[in-house]
Amino acid sequence: MAEEAVTFSPVPYRRTWQAVKFVTPLLLLVVVWQVVVSAFDVNPRVFPDVATVLRAGWETIADGSLAAHVGASMLRVSVGTVIAILTAVPLGIAMGVSKGVSDFLTPLFRFFSVLAGIAWIPIATLWFGYGFGAITFVIFNAVFFVVAYNTLLGVSTIPMPLRHAAASLGAGRWQMLTHVLLPGALPNIVTGIRTGMGFAWRGLIAAEMIATNVGLGYMLFLARDFYRTEVIVFAMIVIGLIWLTLDRLLLAPLERATVERWGLVQRT
Amino acid sequence: MSAILTIWGAYARWTQRWPALAAFVPFVPLIALWWFIAWLQIFPPVFLPGPVEVVQTGWELTWKGILPDYLADSLARLTVGAAAGMAIAIPLGVFVGLNRKAHEFSWPILLFFQAIGDIAWLPILLVWFGFGLTTMTFVIVYTVLFPVVLNTVLGIRSVKPELRRAAQSLGASPTRILFEVTLPGALPNIITGLRNGLGYGWRALIAAEIIVGTSGIGFLMFDARRAGSVEEIVVGMIVLGVLWYIVDSWFLAPIERATGQRWGLVTS
Amino acid sequence: MKSLALENLVKTYFDPYRGLQFTAIRDVSLTVEEGDFVAVVGPSGCGKSTILNMIAGFVPITSGRILVDGREVREPGPDRGVVFQSHALFPWKTVADNVTFGPKMRGVAKAERAKIADEYLALAGLSHAAERYPAELSGGMQQRVGVVRALANEPDVLLMDEPFASVDAQTRMTLQEELTRIWEERRPTVVFITHDVSEAVFLANRVVVLSKGKVLEEVDIPLDRPRSWDRLVEDETFKALSNQVLQLVRSA
Repeated sequence: MAEEAVTFSPVPYRRTWQAVKFVTPLLLLVVVWQVVVSAFDVNPRVFPDVATVLRAGWETIADGSLAAHVGASMLRVSVGTVIAILTAVPLGIAMGVSKGVSDFLTPLFRFFSVLAGIAWIPIATLWFGYGFGAITFVIFNAVFFVVAYNTLLGVSTIPMPLRHAAASLGAGRWQMLTHVLLPGALPNIVTGIRTGMGFAWRGLIAAEMIATNVGLGYMLFLARDFYRTEVIVFAMIVIGLIWLTLDRLLLAPLERATVERWGLVQRT
Repeated sequence: MSAILTIWGAYARWTQRWPALAAFVPFVPLIALWWFIAWLQIFPPVFLPGPVEVVQTGWELTWKGILPDYLADSLARLTVGAAAGMAIAIPLGVFVGLNRKAHEFSWPILLFFQAIGDIAWLPILLVWFGFGLTTMTFVIVYTVLFPVVLNTVLGIRSVKPELRRAAQSLGASPTRILFEVTLPGALPNIITGLRNGLGYGWRALIAAEIIVGTSGIGFLMFDARRAGSVEEIVVGMIVLGVLWYIVDSWFLAPIERATGQRWGLVTS
Repeated sequence: MKSLALENLVKTYFDPYRGLQFTAIRDVSLTVEEGDFVAVVGPSGCGKSTILNMIAGFVPITSGRILVDGREVREPGPDRGVVFQSHALFPWKTVADNVTFGPKMRGVAKAERAKIADEYLALAGLSHAAERYPAELSGGMQQRVGVVRALANEPDVLLMDEPFASVDAQTRMTLQEELTRIWEERRPTVVFITHDVSEAVFLANRVVVLSKGKVLEEVDIPLDRPRSWDRLVEDETFKALSNQVLQLVRSA
């Protein structure tokens, strides 16, 4: 194969170029928004223009309320998710070790993972009262059941030859766990975390609308009470940006790194 | 020990003959455990009712006609919303999936609007449409829309180029290729998207019913929360879980399997 | 079945990720007469699959011309049937529906299509599998379906892109013998791409050795037909020809 070097070499700019390609349509959307709002003279109660939203956003940043809301939401998500992962993964692995046990428990975990999240809000507020406890519980259980179910699934789909190979190479129980079961189930675990956090994030917003006095969901709902559409729109953008960042820059690359690298699952 | 093994063996034989059993039997010990804990009264009955009380309440609600009415309301909202969502999402996904320019332009926008999340739209929808059916329908359409669009796009783009080439060199026109190759190839992904979309959709419905609050299972649960009737909350959760379990495992999952597995497109 | 001519084909690629310009094919000319069987061999990366993809119309040519029965072709079309290495059967269609896909696109009526399916499935010995899905077949059976699907559309030229490369050695020999039998019966015009020298010598009337995007040499294979492995495996002429082609490929 003949290869001739040419002067144009786009390699170093590829990441930047991708980022530009990603952001451009979003900026265009902002332009369209402004044009439509001023061209049709939309009532600011219905939909405010870009400048009003930016001003409202700046106000919430300046008086520190945005930081308080975001901080409260992120704290709940982090605490709930971390506890859920720390408990769900060991449980899922323990249950997945025997095929009989995992077959038996699968329907139970499917049942609870389809129920996970929002449906627990009423009973969570009854158990824990309004506030941090109830919301963190909703997030915890949204992540917990989905992750446990996926871990169970992951462990039970590890090919038997792999376990046999490890055993005949002299792996003990602990080594089997750390070198075969955990890495083998990891792609499923990561997928579970991503799905579970998707449910948790929505559950968080819903729970904060209902059961607290600080947080992004509360910020949205409070603004609605005063018909401050510009604050609502600003909060929605913040919510969108936070989740996009979490999902695309943290969870999706993690999932790709495990799933695609190892070629364990061919479907995305 | 041998008694356990005998029971286990009998269970294995029965479930082999009637696989549907495996979906029910695991719940028996769980319910027994629940009954036992409630009977011990470790937690006060206002927090954790026993299964008997819950069944009684459920029967009462059914007999009075409240539960069937609310269930019908919720299901009707979900069906209408999901149908409308798919009617928009599939053509849009096909268009975006086939057109490279449209894909580059709309992908970030789709991701961003998916990231905002259905529930965050509730406050502004309440400002626009008030407390009513429009708001709830909008939320469900919105929720179903994005997973279906994103998965349709993925499905269309994951159809192997050889299949299109094969169809071309067998004389198929572009329209024929769309209907004979591209759409069937994307179908498993479309169904996965629908499954995810409905999963998010009915969670959004619960949240909307809690917050908008006129009727439906979500309203039933939150109304019970206000009245402090924990039995009714649990009835609502069980109805939701059972309902979704039935829809998902007897309806959506079999379709997914039938297309994906017989065609050999899904390997996991 | 009609003739095929390649005139001064050139293909250059630009690889945007590496910022490099490749020349995959530099000036290839080749004529395949009607009813001839030509195999193209060469080491991997010599451009043999690129040539096939250009004939099929899947990748645009940089310069030169491709003529089928005297007409210049640029797009994919039913006049050039293709058999793919990865079989490329439609997973959601049964074997019979895969085989009659081409006729269906031409608007052939259902009853007529059923006859076509019967005929071609019998030719490949697959009558029992008509209603099965591709995923339910073995690799060898999938390739047989791929071959008769292309044949059932009655193309002018049959293009085969390493169709037997991904099946086991036993099955491969059976498939080669079956392809020979079908060719001897029907005499389609075939261009067969492979990296397996003995496969090329066994099947073809002429073997074209490709190297670095150019034709290194053309070797005629004057072996008697019908051919079978039982007879040829100890045949001196076959051995000598295989050896000659192998030396050319290794020097390439």
